Amino acid sequence: MFKLFVDIWQGIVSIFKGFVVTGRSMFRKPVTIQYPLQKAAMTQRFRGMADLRVEKCISCLQCVRICPTAALDLTSVTNPETKKKALESFCFNAELCCFCGLCQDVCPTKAIFLNALYEVAYYKRSDVTAIDLMAPDKYAHVGVLAAGKGKP
Amino acid sequence: MKTTMVTEELIVNMGPQHPSTHGVLYLELKLNGEIITDCRPHIGYLHRSIEKIAENRSLVQFVPFTDRLDYLASMNDNLGFCLAAEKLLQLEAPARAQYLRVIVAELNRIASHLLAISTFAQDLGAYATPLFFAMRDRQKVVQIFDELCGQRLTYNYIRIGGVAGDLTPDIARTINEFVLYFRKMINDYDDLLTHNIIFKVRSKGIGIISKEFALDYAVTGPSLRASGVKWDVRKDEPYLVYDKFDFDVPVGANGDAWDRYSVRIQEMRESLRIIEQAMGAIPEGDPVAKVNKVFRPSGEVYMRTESPRGDLGFYIVGTGDVFPYRLKIRTPSFSNIAALPALIKGLNVSDAVCALGSLDIVMGEIDR
Repeated sequence: MFKLFVDIWQGIVSIFKGFVVTGRSMFRKPVTIQYPLQKAAMTQRFRGMADLRVEKCISCLQCVRICPTAALDLTSVTNPETKKKALESFCFNAELCCFCGLCQDVCPTKAIFLNALYEVAYYKRSDVTAIDLMAPDKYAHVGVLAAGKGKP
Repeated sequence: MKTTMVTEELIVNMGPQHPSTHGVLYLELKLNGEIITDCRPHIGYLHRSIEKIAENRSLVQFVPFTDRLDYLASMNDNLGFCLAAEKLLQLEAPARAQYLRVIVAELNRIASHLLAISTFAQDLGAYATPLFFAMRDRQKVVQIFDELCGQRLTYNYIRIGGVAGDLTPDIARTINEFVLYFRKMINDYDDLLTHNIIFKVRSKGIGIISKEFALDYAVTGPSLRASGVKWDVRKDEPYLVYDKFDFDVPVGANGDAWDRYSVRIQEMRESLRIIEQAMGAIPEGDPVAKVNKVFRPSGEVYMRTESPRGDLGFYIVGTGDVFPYRLKIRTPSFSNIAALPALIKGLNVSDAVCALGSLDIVMGEIDR
């Protein structure tokens, strides 16, 4: 009988302790941000959509070869005199991309990189399956590109 | 079971779209009244044939796919695969990379256990508070990973021969702050859940796994340790630099749902100890791995690590080609869920949810 009262008392105390924990959070600062109005800054190493510095690309095809999901497609033409390759087209399929970042790690000239874009909505499916990385305004319809992160 | 009233046997399909089956698990329950007389788990709804994909990818290319196995503890899957590949290729990562791997693996263990205990509490009716508390603290871990490797869920951070990015002083400070913060926070979870009378009465004595049963069914991880078997791959077959750290392996007494929960809480404390020691002893150097190396594995290797859910093993066979000939993944959740039908026989449906939640399964790992 005595044990029963002890159990009941301990039960009440344990529940009260829980109330103290939840009550304490009333006086804490909220940890959430009001998302569509406020936006958290992306980190320095954030991996968003693939992007290209066209003038730096040497068409070595290393990114195309290492891509685990074959999301990149690159064609180039070789100049017969100088034997130098010039970039002809660079297509990025964001539907296949798994944002692993292997392409930017393997690139010897830091031409391909993953930018800070994370909210990417499109109207047409072709806009996401065939993004022309050589076009300067490829992500213009989803806002300012890559400017928020300041990658080297 | 002796019942005075005879009722028709009823088959209830629980899942695959059910909030408390933790993913797309489908349980076919045979009920006598409210008592479960038989259970058949159906799996395969999240099958992506990752083992077959591995046969068409080089070892470096396969690392991002291991993120998708156990999506709540991707670092540990990265680690398991990279250690197996390094064992096969007879490589060794730089010392700084080994310490960094320990730090991120333990941080991810904390994040994973936080989600495990909070969703378990949610299954028992503690609807929002523990989950929100856990999400708040998990966010801090995830933020560290975001700064370290640029993703919040699929990290691809641990690479063959090192890691993807070095630890900066800023991130090191954040990790140290987190350790101090979270050590205090665990006491909150104790007050909120561990000693709460409702939680205790609800989960004690439910889904008891005995020592022999656990060993027979190859249950591993916290579920095994809750049954009183002191087995931890980190301690018994040390990999990386785990043998340099001082930590305990918490064990439970009865092997019931509350013990499995309690072992996880204590494991988070031990993880904090490991992180603290590793942050203090981390050597200088360059841990970053080069990804453009071409590996041609030959031979076969099995390497196991301790993931938050248990014993995670990778078996790789190479024939000298760029692609491995075969890759077999031994995932802890798969073995743990095999114990479920025997575990919930004779329980109510609401207690079956409790037993299932305490096993902490991840469907991505079961179906792979």
